[in-house]
Amino acid sequence: MRILIIEDDFEAAEAMTRGLGEAGYDCTHAGDGEAGLDAARAGEFDVLIVDRMMPKLNGVQVVETLRREGDATPVLFLSALGEVGDRVDGLKAGADDYLVKPYAFPELIARVEALSRRRETGAVATTLKVGDLEMNLIARTVHRGETEIDLQPREFQLLEFMMRHAGQSVTRTMLLEKVWEYHFDPQTNVIDVHISRLRSKIDKGFDRQMLQTVRGAGYRLDP
Amino acid sequence: MRLPRIFRTTTFRMTLLFLAVFTFAAAAFLLYAWLATGGEVKRRADAEITREMNSLEAIYRRGGVQGLNEALIERGVGERPFLYVLLDKDGKKITGSIAESPIEKTAPGENWADFLVTDTDMDGAQVRRQARGLQERLDGGEILFVGADIAESEGFVTGISRAITGAGVLVILLGLAGGAIVSRNVSRHMAGLTDTVAAVRGGDLKARAQVRGARDEYDELAEGMNEMLDRLERSMGGLRHAGDAIAHDLRSPLTRLRARMEAALIEVEAGKGDPKQALIQALEDADGVLNTFNAVLAIARLQAAGQAPDQTIFDPGQLAADIAELYEPLCEDKGLDFKAELTPQLTVRAARPILTQALANIIDNAIKYTPEGGAVMLRVRRRSSGEIEFSVTDTGPGVPEEHRARVVQRFVRLENSRSEPGSGLGLSLVAAVAEAHGGRLELDEGPGEYNGMGPGLRVALVLPRAE
Repeated sequence: MRILIIEDDFEAAEAMTRGLGEAGYDCTHAGDGEAGLDAARAGEFDVLIVDRMMPKLNGVQVVETLRREGDATPVLFLSALGEVGDRVDGLKAGADDYLVKPYAFPELIARVEALSRRRETGAVATTLKVGDLEMNLIARTVHRGETEIDLQPREFQLLEFMMRHAGQSVTRTMLLEKVWEYHFDPQTNVIDVHISRLRSKIDKGFDRQMLQTVRGAGYRLDP
Repeated sequence: MRLPRIFRTTTFRMTLLFLAVFTFAAAAFLLYAWLATGGEVKRRADAEITREMNSLEAIYRRGGVQGLNEALIERGVGERPFLYVLLDKDGKKITGSIAESPIEKTAPGENWADFLVTDTDMDGAQVRRQARGLQERLDGGEILFVGADIAESEGFVTGISRAITGAGVLVILLGLAGGAIVSRNVSRHMAGLTDTVAAVRGGDLKARAQVRGARDEYDELAEGMNEMLDRLERSMGGLRHAGDAIAHDLRSPLTRLRARMEAALIEVEAGKGDPKQALIQALEDADGVLNTFNAVLAIARLQAAGQAPDQTIFDPGQLAADIAELYEPLCEDKGLDFKAELTPQLTVRAARPILTQALANIIDNAIKYTPEGGAVMLRVRRRSSGEIEFSVTDTGPGVPEEHRARVVQRFVRLENSRSEPGSGLGLSLVAAVAEAHGGRLELDEGPGEYNGMGPGLRVALVLPRAE
């Protein structure tokens, strides 16, 4: 999996390259917007990590240019600008996700995983299947093996997101953003409570626990 | 050479322009009046002279030179509207009230002439008066001249011209004076504004233009400018305050973080501590600092902006329902009785994301401070005043009345809440959100005794009615 990091802060890029390298990603670094745009045009990358504020060309311009040229490579914006308006600007420019600096590394890995995976599942699926867990998106039913699992609408959305990112770490912030569409950090452990409810519905009474807690990051649904 | 300031004003220039137009008009009027009246006087004199001449010619035809001579002598006595001279064939004067014709004796046919006559006025002084006359050669070869004194009529024309000229000069002088006064007036009003602008540009954000209370356009401009300056000063103040606050507020958590890391390092070096554990602890502390930073920044930005950005109109009950859905399981988990009472179909104008966060903060707080077995109630309703109220009531220990104003300030945490995690920024953020929407945050006593707890707290975020 190849990642292009477009970031003018050399040290930040270095840390990212090392961390993502350890997670099994092959990283290339471009030091400014122009170099980044050239690299993105030339090389085949699976995910772009783009800083917003850079010399020569800023991140938004890079992504807009790429999108105009028909490049659909998933883009993760990385920025110190974290207001809702900034996020909207970034996503409107064509980015797929937005992470505010400073970030926790597990959060970055989780988001990159989610993006790199998204590309492979391009076709519109009507059912999702992870291990013996099966979700029918039309009938809105969930089965684990032969057992039908009754879920509340929000639990269904939560599980759907987990299933679409099966095998990947998903952070609490990502869940709050993608399932609830809230962009703030709750002080309390609200997400944990929702996850534990979901867990009790899909894992209780089964030998194997599918919904795992990933220390320091969040959760993962294993087949 | 630079003109005095007053002469360089737009108003004065306008005055000059109008004066120039007026002067031109006055001159044109004067010319027309002079031409019209002057011509008329001559025409009338000519007609009268011609009539007299015809009458005299008729007398001549009937009575010859003799008859004409008598008529002339007769008509020449007393008030003399006409002047006569009759010459014989050789140019010798036969009779006449003036010495001689002003016209060449040899000139053929009819001849008109303007001339001056010397007269003696009532004081005996010699005056020359404007006159006009017609000379004709009679059938017998004699020459008859008939003239008329037109000085009186001419004087009338001159009088009118003089009056118009005088009025014009007077108007120009008055116009110049009026223009100067109006300009000075305008300049004085503008000078106040200009001085204010100069003062602000010079860095004095407190400078304000004077509003005189005349409710005219200058007052309107001054008021508008003052409002703008108020807003600007608030924003600048907010930003400066934000900078100070961030610097100040982050110093203590950072110092704490540093101290803990130092202590951990000493312990690890002494072989007593677990390096990994120390790092985890440091990471958690850093996260805490970051959360604080984000909260302080959010509050500061809201305060500096003065108004919440990107406001839209939506159903506040729906927003509360979504939040309730998120927090209900948490309440149940903690053994709290959770109720929501949401009035449907209300509308509110607000920045949805930050309002959501504010509401989440209030519920977070309520859940955090309410002991097991308590109750949390979320309510959205419209007050009779039209304001929209989001309120969260809990049955926790509440906040004593004397502390209620204080807990809204940043970093204020009451003694009995020290054991709970938190930065003391939650309610400050809610208050900032309320203010950024033109609303307010109200703290009140809760429902009183409940399951042996109480008195509880009622936190209400009140937003102004949507127009």
